[in-house]
Amino acid sequence: MGTSRIKKSKEKIHKLVVQLVFLLCVLVIWEVVAKAHVFGSRSELVFPTLEAIGKAFIDNFTNGYAGVSFWMYIVNSMELLLLGLAIGILLSFVLTGLAMLSKTFYYIYNLIVSVFDLLPGVALLPVVIIIFGINPAVIVFLVVHAVVWPMSRNILDGFQAVPRIYVEAGKNIGMRGIRLVTGIYIPATTSYIVSGIKVSWARAWRGLISAEMIFGIASCPGIGLYINQMRTNLKNAEMYATLIVIILIGVIVQYGVLEPIEKNTIKRWGMTK
Amino acid sequence: MMKQDIVLDIKNLHKSFEDANDQMEHILTDFNLQVKKNEFLCILGPSGCGKTTLLRCIAGFEKYSGEIQVNGEAKTAPGIDRIMVFQDFNQLFPWKTVEKNIQYPLKQQGMKDKAELDRITAEYLEKVNLAGIQKKYPHQLSGGMKQRVAIAKALALKPQIILMDEPFAALDAMTRNKLLAEVQTISKTEDCTFIFITHNIQEAIVLGSRIMVLAPGGRIKLDEENTIEHPVTPASEGYGKLWKRLHDALDE
Repeated sequence: MGTSRIKKSKEKIHKLVVQLVFLLCVLVIWEVVAKAHVFGSRSELVFPTLEAIGKAFIDNFTNGYAGVSFWMYIVNSMELLLLGLAIGILLSFVLTGLAMLSKTFYYIYNLIVSVFDLLPGVALLPVVIIIFGINPAVIVFLVVHAVVWPMSRNILDGFQAVPRIYVEAGKNIGMRGIRLVTGIYIPATTSYIVSGIKVSWARAWRGLISAEMIFGIASCPGIGLYINQMRTNLKNAEMYATLIVIILIGVIVQYGVLEPIEKNTIKRWGMTK
Repeated sequence: MMKQDIVLDIKNLHKSFEDANDQMEHILTDFNLQVKKNEFLCILGPSGCGKTTLLRCIAGFEKYSGEIQVNGEAKTAPGIDRIMVFQDFNQLFPWKTVEKNIQYPLKQQGMKDKAELDRITAEYLEKVNLAGIQKKYPHQLSGGMKQRVAIAKALALKPQIILMDEPFAALDAMTRNKLLAEVQTISKTEDCTFIFITHNIQEAIVLGSRIMVLAPGGRIKLDEENTIEHPVTPASEGYGKLWKRLHDALDE
């Protein structure tokens, strides 16, 4: 037991050192390339120096753009994202639950999921804008679209993989219909649901930034719009600094939200290694 | 035999499956069985004789023709009056602690009193010699412990019949013997009828108050009371003769 723990912590240190050294190398190479002006006059746009990006990072938060605080952009984006995620996940549970109760609906829904999962949300943008107008609802719609299909696909696959013994044990204690779905099928599918949430979150995050970049809503400015505003003003250091913010938010969600969910469900229940 | 003594009455049970070539395979044909209250019926039989199918029909997991009555009521769907203990160790819900696994079915029946639920949980875990493991998750238990919890869960529901489908077949011999002794003791004190399926002659002799041997097609080859005095050991009087009778009936 003791030796395996030492081995494990050694592995952890190894991983950390390798990743840190790699990161450091990338930064050094970046800086060398930036200082060498490899791209001539365009070099400042493609490879701004680390100092410039660092300064822009701080400027973003202190100055914002055109009188609007950068925090405002982040809060707007996150609000729309969370709303879309919540609606999307809830909708997935309701629709897949219905698909479990009715075979007819299952066949129809299976087809719908397969078709719409292949459609990039931004491709629907022209139609969606006509329906909702230039309005935050468009962004929410796209996030829901990004979430509901992969999430539903995961849940449906998970339902098919629920061991018969759980279902029979449930029926044996008198569970039927909707109670069987909520009491047995959904908890037994948790590992699929968790991976569905991971995929959905990643798709939603990308969908959101793309949508905001394609059309910015001045009344509800988001991170994607900010990137675009920096681009049009040739403030590429600020743009890179915003990319870092996007990555940071992703990392925070990964370690602050998704991992705790995993740890408190499938890891605690021994459903995964 | 008094009519009200009979807890399970099976008449003209017929069950067949379609095999891969669309041929009907008759698993059970015109099967009749009556089981008395508090009897411990052990059913022995070779693989494929239909004993698991019989148990699944009684549990309500399979469609069948004929009639299965519990206390005079026809049963076609699963219900808590007949609780199944499976062979598979993974019959407990992994997302619930031991305590919640035992309490969940009770809650489904409408029992809400937390103190009462806790008392029942402790009582039945005690019966299977697992006091104090309430907060553990199933994956933290050994196979034998999981089967014990499954038995405690079944007992706590106070069903008419507990159906056991080779619950100890995947255990090592030492653990199995221990569990056999425990189930034997429990069956003496609980007001419950047991139907226990096994390949193992020794298991049948140790546990059964009545032993039955099935042949393929569900034909009953042997059906007798087990008169050997408890606790049964291979040294008990009559053990050798009964063992030989059962062995011969299985072998034919």
